[in-house]
Amino acid sequence: MGRLHAEEMVLNMGPQHPSTHGVLRLKLRTDGEIVSHIEPVIGYLHRSFEKHAENLEYQMITPFTGRCDYLAAIGSEHGYAMAVEKMMGIELPERVEYLRVIFAEFQRIASHLVAVGTFGLDVGAITPFIYCFRERELILDLFEMASGARLLYNYIWIGGLAHDVPPGFVEKAYEFLDAFDERVAEYNQILTGNKIFIERAADIGVMTPEVAINYGVTGPSLRASGVNIDIRRTEPYSIYDRFDFDVPLGQGLQGTIGDSWDRYYVRVLEMNESAKIIRQALDQLPVEGDVKSAIPRRIRPPKGEIYFRSENPRGELGYYIVSNGKNVPLRLKMRSPAFSNLSVINEIGQGWMISDVIAILGSLDIVLGEIDR
Amino acid sequence: MIQLLANWILSFDILSGMGNSVAWGLSLFIVAALIFVFVAANAIVLVYIERKVSAFMQVRLGPMRVGKFGTLQTVADALKLLQKEDIIPKMADKVLFIIGPWVILVASVVTFAAIPFSDTLLAANMNIGLFYVVSISSIVVLGIVMAGWASNNKWSLYGAMRSAAQIISYEIPVGITLIAVVAVVGSLNLQTMIQAQAGTGNLFHWIPIPLPNWFIFHSPFLFIAAFVYLIGATAEINRTPFDIPESESELVAGFMTEFSGLRWALFFLSEYANATLVALLVSIIFLGGWQSPFADYEGAQIGFSVITLVAIMWTLFVRAKTGRLSVYPLGLSLVITIAAWLFPGFAIWMASPGIFWMLMKAGTIIFLLMWFRWTFPRLRVDQLMYVSWKVILPLSLINLMGVAIWMWLTGEIQF
Repeated sequence: MGRLHAEEMVLNMGPQHPSTHGVLRLKLRTDGEIVSHIEPVIGYLHRSFEKHAENLEYQMITPFTGRCDYLAAIGSEHGYAMAVEKMMGIELPERVEYLRVIFAEFQRIASHLVAVGTFGLDVGAITPFIYCFRERELILDLFEMASGARLLYNYIWIGGLAHDVPPGFVEKAYEFLDAFDERVAEYNQILTGNKIFIERAADIGVMTPEVAINYGVTGPSLRASGVNIDIRRTEPYSIYDRFDFDVPLGQGLQGTIGDSWDRYYVRVLEMNESAKIIRQALDQLPVEGDVKSAIPRRIRPPKGEIYFRSENPRGELGYYIVSNGKNVPLRLKMRSPAFSNLSVINEIGQGWMISDVIAILGSLDIVLGEIDR
Repeated sequence: MIQLLANWILSFDILSGMGNSVAWGLSLFIVAALIFVFVAANAIVLVYIERKVSAFMQVRLGPMRVGKFGTLQTVADALKLLQKEDIIPKMADKVLFIIGPWVILVASVVTFAAIPFSDTLLAANMNIGLFYVVSISSIVVLGIVMAGWASNNKWSLYGAMRSAAQIISYEIPVGITLIAVVAVVGSLNLQTMIQAQAGTGNLFHWIPIPLPNWFIFHSPFLFIAAFVYLIGATAEINRTPFDIPESESELVAGFMTEFSGLRWALFFLSEYANATLVALLVSIIFLGGWQSPFADYEGAQIGFSVITLVAIMWTLFVRAKTGRLSVYPLGLSLVITIAAWLFPGFAIWMASPGIFWMLMKAGTIIFLLMWFRWTFPRLRVDQLMYVSWKVILPLSLINLMGVAIWMWLTGEIQF
């Protein structure tokens, strides 16, 4: 017996919808509860970042990068700063590199906490979300200590950092790390192993490695499909080659490799790995060093172009910068991971129910600020 | 209760001239008003409790600003809702849009007429009480479909359709579960049902653990039936993990999306009225209603001592597991136990049936429902149907048969 087909209805999900993680609009063609086609409509948060960048001096672009991926501002700033530094051939003090890695990994934990919490929210579990935000607050406290801001930091400057960390920072960071593993166990207890949660996430929206690669999916979503690509490991930038950490891959523990549960669980595991990196970086952190010593007076990269990629919490963040030797870039293109990750939604979300589409979207962990730029 | 009230009114010299039928009508009105006030006040209290319970589960404080510990927060919220602009969407079906919430509210409030709160506190002692409650409460779905359809909003329509499918599916296993209890009592009268659970007896008839004669301890089948009923009823009142009709992360607010102000408040009111109704029904049918769990005052003293022992073990367990010392359960049970041993009057009061026990049991069930809500994710709509048709329905049928066989084995009925 075939499935009964009824008249199709177009359902507008968003731009004002609780689970589209911002101002995303999804045009769903639905047949009853089953979604037969998904068309993401983006651009509601477009702020002309790339055009702005063509009219701003290099150091003035840094705060704008943070506003793209507002949940991982340090990640964006880090990638941008490294791209320009590579163009100019700036050698950084050791302390700067270590602090940058520490903050980038803290940011990864904070961003994954939001991803994990909101994914729980998407499938209807409210309490884990609050638990995740409790830990995120502690990380934001650390950021506030260092940069004075809690969301958009403008902390990583080209050639250094805005400020050195205040006294007491390292102790507080250790304190957070000591408690963190226990907290992750708490999430696993309340959400990861929950039977209803597994029913809702496992085997839903399976993304095969081929599909993931064809659509340019990167980051945890790609690794959940079993593809071992982490730019921190494959093309180590900054000082990531000095640390010992694992790259968690999706194993299909509750269902198929590459399902929503895997995408969720890879993020949970990555938080532990990031904590491991931070601990090593804090242990090795040089005590001496001026974080501002390498900041150039005039930022005028030589004529030429560069594509620099780094591992953002959401995937591969690339900056393509063309310089004509002036203090303003001729062109700046940002390759944002969530943009490519979102493009796969129709492929893996077709044929599932409305509730599943929301779970799949949540498992991709998109940030609209970065998609629309 | 109506007749009692009428007699009481007529007993005043000044009022005795009004005649029996007038007095009866007046007391009918008073009782109806009392029920409505109970439902409304109950919702206000429960909203506050739910917010506090959820806050404590989520390591927050919850409402703290309005009144001491935020106790007046829901009153303030209710006032705010009353003041809000009443918006009826332009393309909505106006008539259905207006009567939808009222159908839901009326259906959930009138069911309280048959609920016995104590041996006398009962609006209408119907001999088909259970049937009345179950049938009237299922009118709620009609109002939900009305509201969802009339809103002329796709999300509302989805919510309404899901709700209709869900409530109708769960009505069947819930009904069959209740039939199992009716088979034991031999009556649909809720008062008779409670009286049949008086006294103490063995657990499951043969296991020599003295427990109250509640139906949850009647047989293994009714023990399961209590949980089947609780699950089914949770689904019927649209609470997490079965809150798919209003699943806020998917359907915005489901059938309530287009409603605002007072009309929205009516949905809220009926939601909590339904939750209370389910809690009351569970305590009436399976937990002995207004019967005290203790047979006499000695029973109360011994019972509380046992509870204290359990609390000590719980405290030690929590201490070993998390390293935290939670003294509140232990302290509370210790205070009550000492009071029960020192003052026989207190123990006698504890052992006597009444509204206190009814509300205690219902409150426990409501807390359980809140606990579910703030812990579980939400099921998908087809998984919900799976649970209903393939798990709970067969289970309830087996229960019904099992209860019949059990009664024959224990000699409660003979052929």
